[in-house]
Amino acid sequence: MKRILLLSLFVLTVAGGTQASAADKQTLPVLANPFPAPDFELKGEDGDTYRLSDYRGQVVVMNFWATWCPPCREEMPAMERLWGKVKDKGIVILAVNVGEDADTIFEFTGHYPVSFPLPMDQDGKVIADYPVKGLPTTYIVDPAGRVTHRAVGSRAWDDPKLIAVLMRMRAQGAGGPVRLEP
Amino acid sequence: MRNYLLPVIGLWTVCQSSVAVERQTGVDEQSQLPYWQISDQGMSLRLVQRLPAQTRGFFLARGFTAEQAERIAQSCVFQTVFKNVSHDTASPSPLSYDLRDWVVTYAGQPQGMKVREDWAKEWQAEKVSKPVQLAFEWSLYPTQQEYKPGDYNWGMSIFNLMPDAEFDLKIVWRQFGETRHETIEKMKCAADIELPPAEPF
Repeated sequence: MKRILLLSLFVLTVAGGTQASAADKQTLPVLANPFPAPDFELKGEDGDTYRLSDYRGQVVVMNFWATWCPPCREEMPAMERLWGKVKDKGIVILAVNVGEDADTIFEFTGHYPVSFPLPMDQDGKVIADYPVKGLPTTYIVDPAGRVTHRAVGSRAWDDPKLIAVLMRMRAQGAGGPVRLEP
Repeated sequence: MRNYLLPVIGLWTVCQSSVAVERQTGVDEQSQLPYWQISDQGMSLRLVQRLPAQTRGFFLARGFTAEQAERIAQSCVFQTVFKNVSHDTASPSPLSYDLRDWVVTYAGQPQGMKVREDWAKEWQAEKVSKPVQLAFEWSLYPTQQEYKPGDYNWGMSIFNLMPDAEFDLKIVWRQFGETRHETIEKMKCAADIELPPAEPF
């Protein structure tokens, strides 16, 4: 009887504990069917032109966002910290702003300073080429130009486990999908 | 061993059903407006009132005419966050939904929500410019979505009711291999009053 009670207590503890920590754990879902990343060429908020295919051979963290979107704002500082750690390691961040102009983005970066490229998809043609349904959505593009992961909603992009996935993808090149370690 | 396992499985079932659905309502800390929340071991849905004044201001700033912004503002808008929180459970599972399956019951009459595609027809008929339509489209909660464990969205959902209206909302979603539905009773659209919000969106 004592054993049953102990087992039952364990089950209850596990079941109760699942809710408490769920919000803190990072995920980076792997796509069941990776697809070739549709190429694009967009003007950045800094006046430079960004073409996705120019980054072939590198890992691209491609984030779709807007200044008015709270979770987009929330993840920007973490993305900037990620950029500080990976920018010279063959990993690129392209944060594609959807539907806003350079003045709006410039004002935003006054509050959320970021130094990675912010290409502007002002007419929504690029986001229409990707299966995005809500902002923010982030795709990971592997060195071969295939979209391999999708994250909907914000993430702590400077989490060492997420960085490890990107680094392993970079080292592995065009190999199979790299999964986040538990 | 089998004798030991049976009561444990029984208790697990009770435990599962006891955490099956948790409901909360109160005042959202950030916006200081009423919210309704429903959650279980796999999902969390939070709906927070938006004042018509907030919505009016938001869409005026994105290029809508005063009449159009007013029409949206008077349609019962809620800030919505729907999350797949199954990633820390023993069996993480994708979550999917379609807002067109959800039912709004007002004064005993069931009706659907007013989703992106419904509004898009209006904006196209009124020849609203593409950038303005784009801002609207991405502000609204996605009509359909599949969330992998850890995924979530944040956006506006519109119930197509007048300010201050009280209604029940039947939500439908699919997770852990089954279709689930729950009803949140006595939700209320925000009244059309001027209160300075703590957060503009």
